[in-house]
Amino acid sequence: MQTKIAQLRQQVEAEIGSVTTEDQLEAFRIKFLARKGLVASLFDDLKNVPAPEKPMAGKYLNELRQRTQMLFDEKAASLKSTPHVSAQLDPTLPGRRKFLGTKHPLMQTLDEIKSIFVGMGFGIADGPEIEDDWHNFSALNFPPDHPARDMQDTFFVDRNILLRTHTSPVQIRVMENNTPPIRTIMPGRVYRNEAVSARSLCNFYQVEGLAVDVGITFSELKGTLLSFARRFYGKDIKYRFRPSFFPFTEPSAEMDITCFICRGKGCRMCKQSGWLEILGCGMVDPNVFTSVGYDPEKYTGYAFGMGIERTAALLYGVDDIRLFYENDVRFLRQF
Amino acid sequence: MKLSHNWLQHYIKFKLAPEQLSEQLTMLGLEVESYEHLGEKYKGFVVGQVLEVQKHPNAEKLSVCRVNIGKEVLQIVCGAPNVAAGQKVAVGLSGATVPKNQHDPNGKPFTLSHVKLRGVDSFGMICSEYELDLGPDKDGILVLDRKAKIGRSLSSYLGLDDVAYEIGITPNRPDLLSHFGVAREIGILTGKQPSLPKVKLRESTVSVAKHFSVKVEDKVNCPRFAVRVIRNVKIGPSPEWLQHALRAAGLRPRNNVVDVTNYVMLECGQPMHAFDYAQLRGSKIIVRQAKAGTSFRTLDGKEHTLPEGAVMVCDGVREVSIAGVMGGENSEISDTTTDVVLESAYWNPSSIRRTAKALGITSDAAYRFERGADPHATPYALDRAAELILQTAGGELLKGRIDIYPKKINERIVPLRTSRCNRILGTSLSSSEIVLCLKKLGIAKGKGSADKNFFRVPTFRVDIEREIDLIEEVARVFGYNNIESKTVAAIDLNHPFEKQILADRICDTLVGFGYQEALTISIQSEETSRLTGASPVVLMNPLGKEMSTMRTSLIPGLLEAAARNQSFGNTDLRLFEIGHVFRVDSEPQMVGNIREDERVCLFLSGKNLPRHWKSDSQELTLYDLKGEVADLLDACGLDSWRYIYYSTSETLAENPIFVEINGTTAGFLGKVKGEVCKRFGFEQEAFVAELTLSALKSDKKKKYTALPKFPKVRRDVAFVVDSNVTSEIMERCMKESGSGLLQEVELFDMYEGENLPKGKKSLAFTLVLQSQEKTLVDHEIDTEVRRIVTRVERELGAELRSS
Repeated sequence: MQTKIAQLRQQVEAEIGSVTTEDQLEAFRIKFLARKGLVASLFDDLKNVPAPEKPMAGKYLNELRQRTQMLFDEKAASLKSTPHVSAQLDPTLPGRRKFLGTKHPLMQTLDEIKSIFVGMGFGIADGPEIEDDWHNFSALNFPPDHPARDMQDTFFVDRNILLRTHTSPVQIRVMENNTPPIRTIMPGRVYRNEAVSARSLCNFYQVEGLAVDVGITFSELKGTLLSFARRFYGKDIKYRFRPSFFPFTEPSAEMDITCFICRGKGCRMCKQSGWLEILGCGMVDPNVFTSVGYDPEKYTGYAFGMGIERTAALLYGVDDIRLFYENDVRFLRQF
Repeated sequence: MKLSHNWLQHYIKFKLAPEQLSEQLTMLGLEVESYEHLGEKYKGFVVGQVLEVQKHPNAEKLSVCRVNIGKEVLQIVCGAPNVAAGQKVAVGLSGATVPKNQHDPNGKPFTLSHVKLRGVDSFGMICSEYELDLGPDKDGILVLDRKAKIGRSLSSYLGLDDVAYEIGITPNRPDLLSHFGVAREIGILTGKQPSLPKVKLRESTVSVAKHFSVKVEDKVNCPRFAVRVIRNVKIGPSPEWLQHALRAAGLRPRNNVVDVTNYVMLECGQPMHAFDYAQLRGSKIIVRQAKAGTSFRTLDGKEHTLPEGAVMVCDGVREVSIAGVMGGENSEISDTTTDVVLESAYWNPSSIRRTAKALGITSDAAYRFERGADPHATPYALDRAAELILQTAGGELLKGRIDIYPKKINERIVPLRTSRCNRILGTSLSSSEIVLCLKKLGIAKGKGSADKNFFRVPTFRVDIEREIDLIEEVARVFGYNNIESKTVAAIDLNHPFEKQILADRICDTLVGFGYQEALTISIQSEETSRLTGASPVVLMNPLGKEMSTMRTSLIPGLLEAAARNQSFGNTDLRLFEIGHVFRVDSEPQMVGNIREDERVCLFLSGKNLPRHWKSDSQELTLYDLKGEVADLLDACGLDSWRYIYYSTSETLAENPIFVEINGTTAGFLGKVKGEVCKRFGFEQEAFVAELTLSALKSDKKKKYTALPKFPKVRRDVAFVVDSNVTSEIMERCMKESGSGLLQEVELFDMYEGENLPKGKKSLAFTLVLQSQEKTLVDHEIDTEVRRIVTRVERELGAELRSS
């Protein structure tokens, strides 16, 4: 019996070595390991072995079976990870790649914001980047000689024409050209006369929102922006609205969410406050309605705005916003 | 603005810790940007008294001192030459961090511990002014006031047991630019009313009117002007409490009189000015407008040329102060001043702003006046300042004040409808809840009916003029976060965003082609903007010469980006940008005569594909770009466009190919001129296309056409023609042959050279034929092909090449 076992063992060791394909492996399994295979048949023979030899023979036989199974498993694993190499085909050779195109990270961020508002029923409008004083300031309730104009360092083309400092002039254009109800967002490039640094640029992107109708309330403003923030930043965010000032809205507010970097504990990004300011908003000031010939007694509305660079920088962890305008393909390809 | 915690407590008692106060003020709209415990860095420093000084047994320059710090007496080794018994000194205890190490070149802080110096135990350190970061003196220890209390913490001795808040005040709330103003808001939180100190004045019997007079000529810009005169003051440093208060609020103390004017401004918000009486000629003040061009030197030593309409405070002869902006050097308080004229006035905000802006002056006074001071605060501030000057500088206060206030400015009466308030906020507040909210702000209800109440708005609230302004206050006091959030479903039908769809389509298509989207700065040098030949929009107040005009094309920005990438070894580039370009037009446009267009620019250079072992990648050519442009136009839904090859108005590219769509030029494509590449430091062949988005908009509605039922057949033909016959002419000739069966013509080969006569070339085309009615049979195909070939031979002198 022991001789038989030893012979079979040699046979197993020899044959496993010549297995190179899945098919051969399957044949090996059937030959040795199947229910009626050679190993099993030796177990059948065990009953003919004299009693004193039985335990020893049983032990050897079990070892043989384990060994065979192990060799089979090893081979199976190695076949799976070894490619089928032949003279005609080496599948490990690299495939033909293309240069992958990517959308700019700022535009990806903007797309995401747009899709959320479009999903809430908003349209999209735009306007010129070079504006007149009326649309950029006067119609938005910035009186001449008012310090509120200092909040935005302005590039002038002449006394009346300037590079828009925010997307809010598009609100005026939209209202001048439409009658309520209005629900639209207005993305675009804006300009501030600020020296270029890691935190500020002379041009950047904003997205503005405007809703005007009968019966729009501050409560609806909150609900809409909260829905946006939950969709964009995550449904578990904590948030707060706090009073602020913009000439074209009243009441005005800023919306903060808990800093998603430190989870409210305080870090460099949120200036240790635990809160991140994500947007400015408010109810459209009656003077703005008067500027565009809407009856402020009949209509109410809300407006909001946010910066795309800041949003994208927070989202992607970009610590120098100049990178967004350097167009280094090593940077662009990361998004 | 900087505010001191202790100072705020003068007007209202509150128990809020700095963190709570910061949070709660922020939620009221006073954004606390940061706060700082001023005494933090002096933790572990106390006032001590040196009891005895003995020479160190092992060191020449050291002494061993016994210092009483109240609780105990410490042995301290000291190296300063000026240490002496009896002195009150600042003692750093073990564990304290010395703000500046005078033995370290950078003055890095270090922490004290019990040490042995040359074998003698030292349980602390007596510090110098430099070490405490209180001044430059390193030569000896700082000797404190003789009266300093032993054991008192150093921060308390220095008046630094305080917290300074940095608060961002929005420009509509000048009433918050003082401690009392912020105390009013704290009152909303605590439910208590703050109050200003009562002023008690001791006046002399001499009447001020005898010694001084005021005349206001410009009554429009100076609605109120008040003065008091104090004689025989003694100019000197301010008392400790006053210096501490100013420092905590971020101001540097100067002298007692000037410090008091600043203190009063930070107390109640009213800017003050003090003149040296002796310098006011004719003992009088006249308020009038300046003659444009007059020159005037302000007390900061700067010379200004006064603009038209600047309101000036003058004496009998000359200007002595730019009203509400900054005083003059000629009449400022000096060490030798004995008699003081104190001014407290109310100025027209827009006049102050115009003047300050024209002169480029920013001052605490102008900052407040241009936002709007409180006309009712004028006399209080004047009396309060007089009281504090008498306290700190002594002197004799002349009897009475001169107060020119011809037209009283009344409290505003503003109506508020409860229904309107709820309609804006989405709340259901009752009339009495609203009244209660406003009462907390000192805004009292006057007359009223069921829905409409009239409220009396105090004069310090310059921001409240209209109903909506009151509604904002109601919301603020009620709490923005107590207003319910509600969502409403609605669809905007006014803005079906077609433009958006086109831009998205272009972007998606180009990304699919392997382009990286780039965004470049729209402001560039005039030299660059002029490269296109367009007249650029020039900025009046640019950041510099390199950033002085608006881009006239997207090409330079992409070239710059390409050059940057090339310098990092990335030479296979496909970039695009969608953005606005600008130029000055001869015709009026939407805004002035500025023509603004949205364009897309494609830039490509380098290899067409990444390197691969199986096949070579190739250098990109103009035809790669031309093909991609055609694909892009296809993707935009355009089905007919024309290339124009002969125009030469393009200055950036050589042999540009213009794209004409529906009769208008949409843009061009071409190879960037070598000198243009070089200008931007790009050292490779580059190809660009720049197209105007509005021209790419297809009006065509998508519509289904039935698919052909019968098969296509293909026949190849090759012609030999004169070299100057273009492939486009040949194609057109075939298409215009009148064959109803010819569906497509594809050029598949072009050859010039050997086996062909000079001046000739061979062009090979595949003709695709198909009938809508039947399957074509051979002889029909042959007839049709022959007809086409004959036409090409006849019209273009071409010769069919035998295959």
